[in-house]
Amino acid sequence: MTHSLHRSGDIESQKKDYVWFMYQTKGVNDVDIKPRALEFIAVAEAVGSENWGDVKSGPKLRFPIEEIKSKLSDKSRLRGIFTKRSQVVEFLKQIKAKDLGMSVVITGVLSEVIPACREAGVTPHSVNYSLGVWGKKDDLPDDTTLSITTMCGHHMIPPKFVNHIMKRVQKGKMTPQEGAQELAEFCYCGIFNHIRCANIIEENT
Amino acid sequence: MEVCPEGAIEAQELVGFLKQFQHVISDPVENHGVTGVTGRGTEEVKTNDVSGRIKKGWVGFSIDMGRPGMGVYLRDAEKVAMACVGAGFILAPPEESPLAALMPDYRTGKLRDDCLDYRLLSVIIEGRCPEDRTKDVLKALQKVEKEIDTVFSLGLISRVDENGDCKALAYLDDLGLPRPHRGKVNVGLGKPLSLD
Repeated sequence: MTHSLHRSGDIESQKKDYVWFMYQTKGVNDVDIKPRALEFIAVAEAVGSENWGDVKSGPKLRFPIEEIKSKLSDKSRLRGIFTKRSQVVEFLKQIKAKDLGMSVVITGVLSEVIPACREAGVTPHSVNYSLGVWGKKDDLPDDTTLSITTMCGHHMIPPKFVNHIMKRVQKGKMTPQEGAQELAEFCYCGIFNHIRCANIIEENT
Repeated sequence: MEVCPEGAIEAQELVGFLKQFQHVISDPVENHGVTGVTGRGTEEVKTNDVSGRIKKGWVGFSIDMGRPGMGVYLRDAEKVAMACVGAGFILAPPEESPLAALMPDYRTGKLRDDCLDYRLLSVIIEGRCPEDRTKDVLKALQKVEKEIDTVFSLGLISRVDENGDCKALAYLDDLGLPRPHRGKVNVGLGKPLSLD
């Protein structure tokens, strides 16, 4: 699933939004992954990944880290976010040094991600490029709403719920950060960037 | 805003293959039985450094039907799949793509008739073509995008050089399509590394 690829919104805002992934390949390196997954988590935490999770147990914004760790299995898929390019560089450097043999993917604005790879000493192998949205685009929500909903690529965050949160922030019933946190809890993978979301809400309310 | 009481929504028993398919494909927490991957269950670029699914000289496409957030009737997925096949696209087989499980012959893109009116949150059409057929597939997509009642998000997958570039991007210029600014970059740390 390309659930991190097609994020939208202002490019400068997207430059503060990176998604990291650890993947095992079926039939090759997908047995007894827990020790390696724990290494990934340790590096992600050390580098300050603001949100991460395992689709099988949920994001750290909603569940205790120890609970997510305890539920790791060979079906787990770890993924999370960074908000700064320097975090991506450090993450890649440390993961490369650990030589865990798992596939690592970074999604983001290419003019940021490719130089980050270079700086970390890793060489891109393949890229899935986003060629955008095609078809009956007139029926899509407005750009601001999409810039939030597309941060959960599985679309567990409905546009009407985003509008509801925006209205509550406008009325002063919650802060942009509280609104972003509430939205983030619906994204089970842990790739919803609540920091960027709070900024978008703040700029549009 | 009106709020339903707790317990107002209950899960129903999913009777029959197509109902179960609808559920598994729309729920990111579920594993797809064949591919073993959660959600809509395709691998695209995620493990390409190990699987070597998309090799040099080939281009992959991941066509996320119904995304972002609009949903898709399978009849529209069929329309797009068949249009791509007609342009030289080779669809991923059932062991790599859940959608292919609904195709009596996955090489055609035709879905079984009894599933066409089923609606999903999204579903991925995935496959590959020789690099020199890239433009043909893109042209087919430019045509069929006007004939469907939903949207799709399009990903183009390729092996790349150290700068993250590939030959296929030049075809976008020929068709007047903008160069992509976002990408999902497999950084080549998987082992054993596929060099193909």
